[in-house]
Amino acid sequence: MTFDHPARLAAGIVAVILFAMLYTFLARRTTARDLLYSNVAFFRDAARPRRWIPRALQTLWVLALAGVVLGISGPHLVLPVPARDGHVFICIDTSGSMASTDVFPTRAAAAKAAARAFIAEAPAGTSIGVIAFSGAAGIVVPLSADHQQVSSQLDQVPMPDGATAIGDALKLAGESLPAKGHRVVILITDGVNNAGTDPMEVARWLGSQHIPVYTVGIGTEAGGLIPGTNEEATIDEEALRGYASASGGAYARVSNATQLRDALTHLGRITSLQRKPVDASLSFAIAGALGMLLAFLAGFGLGRYP
Amino acid sequence: MTLREALLRARRRPRNLGAGSPTIYRGDGYEFVELRAYVPGDDVRRIDWAATARSGELQSRVVLEDVALTLAAIADASPSMDVGRRRPLLAAASEALHAWFGAASGEDRCVRITARGVTPPALQRKPAGAVFAVAKEEAPFDLTRALRTARAALPRGTALLAISDWYDLDPTLDRDLADLGARFDCTALIARDPWFEELPLAGMVRLRGSEGGSVRAYIGPGERRAYLRAVRAREASLLKRFRVANWRSGILREADGAASLAEAFGLARAGVA
Repeated sequence: MTFDHPARLAAGIVAVILFAMLYTFLARRTTARDLLYSNVAFFRDAARPRRWIPRALQTLWVLALAGVVLGISGPHLVLPVPARDGHVFICIDTSGSMASTDVFPTRAAAAKAAARAFIAEAPAGTSIGVIAFSGAAGIVVPLSADHQQVSSQLDQVPMPDGATAIGDALKLAGESLPAKGHRVVILITDGVNNAGTDPMEVARWLGSQHIPVYTVGIGTEAGGLIPGTNEEATIDEEALRGYASASGGAYARVSNATQLRDALTHLGRITSLQRKPVDASLSFAIAGALGMLLAFLAGFGLGRYP
Repeated sequence: MTLREALLRARRRPRNLGAGSPTIYRGDGYEFVELRAYVPGDDVRRIDWAATARSGELQSRVVLEDVALTLAAIADASPSMDVGRRRPLLAAASEALHAWFGAASGEDRCVRITARGVTPPALQRKPAGAVFAVAKEEAPFDLTRALRTARAALPRGTALLAISDWYDLDPTLDRDLADLGARFDCTALIARDPWFEELPLAGMVRLRGSEGGSVRAYIGPGERRAYLRAVRAREASLLKRFRVANWRSGILREADGAASLAEAFGLARAGVA
């Protein structure tokens, strides 16, 4: 948290401390209005009065005043806020193993449906593009803020066939993203990199450019055969987790279409958030004022005032 | 019946025979009642020789027993008694003490035990009431010490009145109470909590202890109910402890100390003094 007016903050902290001390002094001093009782220890045992309520009221006053002080000090909080100018590339694996039917109807069809869910969840203004990769990578849909159009052009993603060049896809995404702004790459794959550039190297480079890669591994535990071959479609989970970690993203493993959809929907929410310093003056001031009002009403209701 | 008569008629008649004023009982004294025929065992000094000569048979003089009471009192003058709704409990204690010593007559002796010791130091005749007004004492009042002083200083058969709120009545003192109850005709007046009927507090309150300490808390209906239950339970428990220790006990009410003392003896107030 940063402050526009540190001097006000310092003065405010002193004021809050003095207020707390004055409140404590006034609460503890004995006055003629106090009820004189013969034996306080007996009274405490007999009535078991709720001594925490006055303390809570005092705490509420101090916190409310602290809120107002923070409010006038111009605080700025670094918070995740929706990125209006975000750029996201979805890299969809179109290797032969994506034709496997262990995820209904096929891994490729489930990936496309999940990509649509992601696009639907992304906030307006976020540019989204789609890259398809197998032995090589190519842009299917260039970055566009027209989510309707991007969603409809997902049909142009080619049918599953060929090898898996994860590194090429990540590199193409990184190079195609703008140089500045909130940028994210989402990788949906079911396989092991077996062609093209070293994905780990590309992931590190993306991380240095502040472009996180969110990797989603598709496939059931039992796995499935690649149609037309005797090869089993496996996932190199360690590698996918490594790409995500190296770039500052996250990894998720899904084994059915619903999980894949949920994962992409979740990514649609978090990848469109950007950590930015937000002016919280008004929020603190309102919270402080509400706290004071609540403390006053509570004190009034509890017989503390007048 | 007066308080003095009540003391004399009590099961634990406090007696100092051969002195003081006559009682209603026939015994050793000077107040003549009647003549009757001599019965073996009669004191020969009581034979009325003139009447014997007239009647031709031995005649004994029957007289009333002369008794002088020793009235002793302990009144708690600690700050905890300096509280009350309309006036301090000490004022009611003063009234009770006044009525107690006011019951003395003839050769009866009055003794007050305070934080400073036995007052007056020597046994003394019926004093003026003002001397026995209970005022907050500068020296801290020690109930245990006062009871033990009474045990050591007072003659057996003394009528002892103790007035206190009894907050200091530690359970370990029950044996001392029982010992006093066996030696003396003991009466305890328990100062009733001024808020016995209803705690006048609601909401956020501050309470200052007369002997120190304070409480800042919220008092709701639940707290008030709990307080009343505890106060009543404490009073009932004290009454039971005194009964077990063979003490006569009663409640000292803030409004009227003399009436409280009379109630402890089962008397109407008019007959106290």
